[in-house]
Amino acid sequence: MTTTDDLPAVPEAGDETVAHGAASGQPERVAFGRNPRHFGIDPGEPWPDDVPKDQDDTHWRFENDPAGARRAELKIAFCWTLTVLASIALAIVYIDGANTQAAGICWGIAFLGLGIGMLMWARDLLPGHEVTASRGHHDVCAEVDRIAVAESLSRGTEPMARRPFLFKMMGAVGGIFGLATIFPLASLGPRPHTDLYKTDWTGGVRALNEDGNPIRPGDIPVNGILTVFPEVDGQPSTDALSPTLLINVGDAPFKIPPSRTGWNIGGLVAFSKICTHAGCPASLYNVQTHQLICPCHQSTFDVLDDCNPVFGPASRSLPQLPIGTDAEGYVIATEGYQEAVGPGFWNRG
Amino acid sequence: MSTTRERAAAQKRYSTQKSVMDTVDERFGSSRFLTSVLDKIFPDHWSFMIGEVAMDSLIVLIVTGVYLTFFYVPSSTDVVYAPTSGHVYAPLVGQHMSEAYMSVINLSFNVRFGLIMRQAHHWAALIFLAAVMFHMCRIFFSGAFRKPREVNWIIGLTLWMVVMLEGFTGYSLPDDLLSGTGIRVIYSIVQSIPLIGSWLAYDVWGGRFPGPSFIARLFIIHEFVFPLLIIGLLTAHLMILWHQKHTDFPGPGKTETNIRGSRIWPQYALKAGGLMMLVSGVTFLLAGLIQINPVWLYGPYNPYTVSAGAQPDWYLGFLDGSVRLWPHWEFRSFGHEIANPFFPGLLIPGLIFTIMYAWPWIDKKVYNDYGPHNLLDRPRDKPFRTGIGVAYIIFFIVETLACATDLLANNLHIAFERLIEILQYGAFIGPLVGFTIAFKACQALQRTDAHPIQKPLGGVIIRTADGAYHTLGDHHGNGHDSHTNGHTADSPDGHDAEPDGHEAGGAEPEGHEAAGAETEGAAEAGSAGADRATRLGRGR
Amino acid sequence: MTVDVTSVRRSHRLLAGPLALIALALVAGSVLFATGGVAHGQSDLVSTNPADITAGELLFQAHCQSCHGYEGEGGQTSAPALTDVGAAAADFYLSTGRMPLNNPGNEALRHHPYFNTVEIRQLVAYVNALPEITGTNVYGPTIPTVAPLCTTDTPPNPNPTGCVTLSEGQRAYSLNCAQCHQAAGSGGMLSKGNVVPTLHNANITQVAEAMRVGPKPMPVFSPSDMSYQQMSAIAHYVQYLHRPANPGGLPISHFGPVSEGFIGVILGFGVLWFATRMIGNRG
Repeated sequence: MTTTDDLPAVPEAGDETVAHGAASGQPERVAFGRNPRHFGIDPGEPWPDDVPKDQDDTHWRFENDPAGARRAELKIAFCWTLTVLASIALAIVYIDGANTQAAGICWGIAFLGLGIGMLMWARDLLPGHEVTASRGHHDVCAEVDRIAVAESLSRGTEPMARRPFLFKMMGAVGGIFGLATIFPLASLGPRPHTDLYKTDWTGGVRALNEDGNPIRPGDIPVNGILTVFPEVDGQPSTDALSPTLLINVGDAPFKIPPSRTGWNIGGLVAFSKICTHAGCPASLYNVQTHQLICPCHQSTFDVLDDCNPVFGPASRSLPQLPIGTDAEGYVIATEGYQEAVGPGFWNRG
Repeated sequence: MSTTRERAAAQKRYSTQKSVMDTVDERFGSSRFLTSVLDKIFPDHWSFMIGEVAMDSLIVLIVTGVYLTFFYVPSSTDVVYAPTSGHVYAPLVGQHMSEAYMSVINLSFNVRFGLIMRQAHHWAALIFLAAVMFHMCRIFFSGAFRKPREVNWIIGLTLWMVVMLEGFTGYSLPDDLLSGTGIRVIYSIVQSIPLIGSWLAYDVWGGRFPGPSFIARLFIIHEFVFPLLIIGLLTAHLMILWHQKHTDFPGPGKTETNIRGSRIWPQYALKAGGLMMLVSGVTFLLAGLIQINPVWLYGPYNPYTVSAGAQPDWYLGFLDGSVRLWPHWEFRSFGHEIANPFFPGLLIPGLIFTIMYAWPWIDKKVYNDYGPHNLLDRPRDKPFRTGIGVAYIIFFIVETLACATDLLANNLHIAFERLIEILQYGAFIGPLVGFTIAFKACQALQRTDAHPIQKPLGGVIIRTADGAYHTLGDHHGNGHDSHTNGHTADSPDGHDAEPDGHEAGGAEPEGHEAAGAETEGAAEAGSAGADRATRLGRGR
Repeated sequence: MTVDVTSVRRSHRLLAGPLALIALALVAGSVLFATGGVAHGQSDLVSTNPADITAGELLFQAHCQSCHGYEGEGGQTSAPALTDVGAAAADFYLSTGRMPLNNPGNEALRHHPYFNTVEIRQLVAYVNALPEITGTNVYGPTIPTVAPLCTTDTPPNPNPTGCVTLSEGQRAYSLNCAQCHQAAGSGGMLSKGNVVPTLHNANITQVAEAMRVGPKPMPVFSPSDMSYQQMSAIAHYVQYLHRPANPGGLPISHFGPVSEGFIGVILGFGVLWFATRMIGNRG
């Protein structure tokens, strides 16, 4: 591999003479290790103390070891051959059904072969290691420049400062106009108003299962649990806050607060499925302890005690749906939910 | 050792390159600029490459992401999965799902290489975030955020936040049961914001959950808004880094005004290119061999079903964990309430991130150091900062572990109630313990180890068989005691068969500074390898 | 599992020896013979052979009555009465090794079955006969059959065999089962330390039995709120989950983002971290 000392007319390293635009009209080439341009030094500046002179940028690992260089070359060639083979294999994989695992192996080998080859080339066959250069003064300007930029800035700010009224008005304009430009964003959605209090459950609405069939109270066995939806146009509602759990606790000691008498049908009770913490379906039912658990953050509700939270981050009980039966004996809601379903919000009074 | 023919060929190549560069210069006056670009030096410490790993993952993400965009349908429209040709996933046939979900199922089962591109995209995201966080820790522990790099720290933190959200929006695009559950939780967190929560939620989602067109909006955010932000911020991040030049660890011969490393051309460019290939290779190996996000198993999203083990991707685990650990406190008065998810979901993370943003200025105050720094600290040099960093990391790990309470409880055979309690205490005690241990460790290391910049307080001198004297603690000349680094000195000057950062196989420790060899001048004669004479800059 | 010596002693005290047992068995057998074999939800999977019932009774006395009572009427411990549980419950608990239980206070978890298939058949026959023997005449679910899996992805119309599809199974599983047992059947956790088991070891009959029986802490899914079709579909889907299609590669336990995160960070990023250590230097 050739180095820069094969190129013409380069003075020996250590030669102090530096020619700038010699008499011949062409600038003579400066020794690389003495050329400030290659070391982050401005040509007019003195050479800094912390940048060694005459650094050899051209040194590479096997420059005196052709056998070693050849070995390195072969290793790289081997890696890149793997890449070529893997790429061809990839084409075959694609044609032959595109198996994901085979494709991953082919692609992986192709990339890794290429990459390891490149890294070996950088390590073994390239110059440019461990060079020291100056950081220069580019990160901080000279004081004269700083004065200049302050002068330029004040050319504009001085007139503004002389008109304080306009200046202040500009502030108000910017602020209010800025707010006005946000208004189109309000079209992205409706205002909530009281919408978060509503579900599709109202008095007399039938409970349907996921397949759209109504339920009789006897359908749910003791220790059984079923997800039901309010009937809307003959179909189960798709409203996200409406899914409700029908649970048959049998003759387990279920506490009925005075305001909720008649909300159950024997051992059959109905509670909102939407966790009051963050809205996941709180649907894991531990029959042994009569607890509903939400899988998202492990809020645990005691079904026998008004679905009050007994563990976890939820702080409000799951709302209970008052249920009864209609003339044909199917389960209906006798009223809608009496409180907002799901997670809390600022106005949830 | 070159022949006349080789010289002539080199001359010809040089002339050709010069005339090309002249042509460019005649139009752009770019020679000065291009010289500085080609000559630019990047220090070679391995930890400086982690940011590069992150950037390479981003490139993989962009390339695979564009490909996925051609197949993905960003629509919540209800369709029935009933493909008439190609590979069909039987357990979903005949079911209702969104068009978006169906397009992902189609891509996974019916498009050649569709699944591997999808999996590569997702694995690259996981690796990306790991690299970003590791990079952030490196910046923190080495003090690289100090003046003049405070703005870059802020840009970097913002990049981290945007990239986390980009990942979240990305894995929510398939509209499957698992990611949809996450969206539900985010809706609730937004809803819980005091004063404006429900308005904001209705605005962003277009109504009550799940909203009529949220998938389409997620798509715009993931494909357009966040990528623009990321590319813009990353460009600024790199331009600042370029302009200010990279920092470096202190060592002999290194000062605040010089920089040592590899030249971009050809060394660093090829190393960077090789690393890019490695990142891609690892990503695609994972993409082909290990399944990720099998959305067909979860099923399409609906708001009334859920699967056990509902977690976000790992990099958001800390948010989910903090929501699980936060006690059931809610504030209700005068007809208003601040719902529970607001505190662990927004307020506490907000406070923590604010401290992180402000850290460069906190650090200045703590150490009363307002000056610029191009040389880095070793973590042991700043015990308080290191202790705080360790405390933060432990807190982060506890919160991340907390996102998997149900899985961990099941596998460790303890009730999740106990596990959550343990983690709640751990979230406080862990960081305190971590801080104390790290602080003490730093102080101890400072006492016993030779400080890299100051003169050693005392040392052990060994004399080798060839008569050379060496001080233990200054072998490489870069301030590291090769013994504390775990190396054994098996050559007289302390250079090991497996020196730092170079592959085993008898590689000559190229990367080690000439300055080190200089201090051992007399030892050179007796040391192994005539190559030492050809070390950098020591004259030919 | 050791033979409970106290039960033998108890039987000695109460009924003075095998003679009384045989007498009881003869009575039971004759009752059954007279009624022509119990017809309540009887399936071919449950034996009504008096020999089986007798053998089952002997096994019951030896292994079960110390907790479940002499004739399965329940005991001092929390062990429930077995007189109305039905054959499905007995078969489920025995074939999954949940019973006999080492310690009455433990949660009944899957275990290597203590009894072989013949003994299980006999014990099931006995438990199935308990309602008649004890005169309670309340019958729990019998061992369910399961509708066949359709040969096509969509059910034929008309559907004379009543076959079910995996898709119906996936949908019903997602609504009724996934929240506890996890989308891929890997199991999970309930409150108070109750474990939700993985479904990867359950055969099709056991899955069907579990739905009908509701082995605590699992809820019950009876034919009135989960039809035969749905139950069969779920049972078939769970069998599919034993070996689901994993086109993406290694499934890493199907736990989802947690295991994926571990692999991505520790394996994926770890390899790259190692690579940077090799490429860069440590100076």
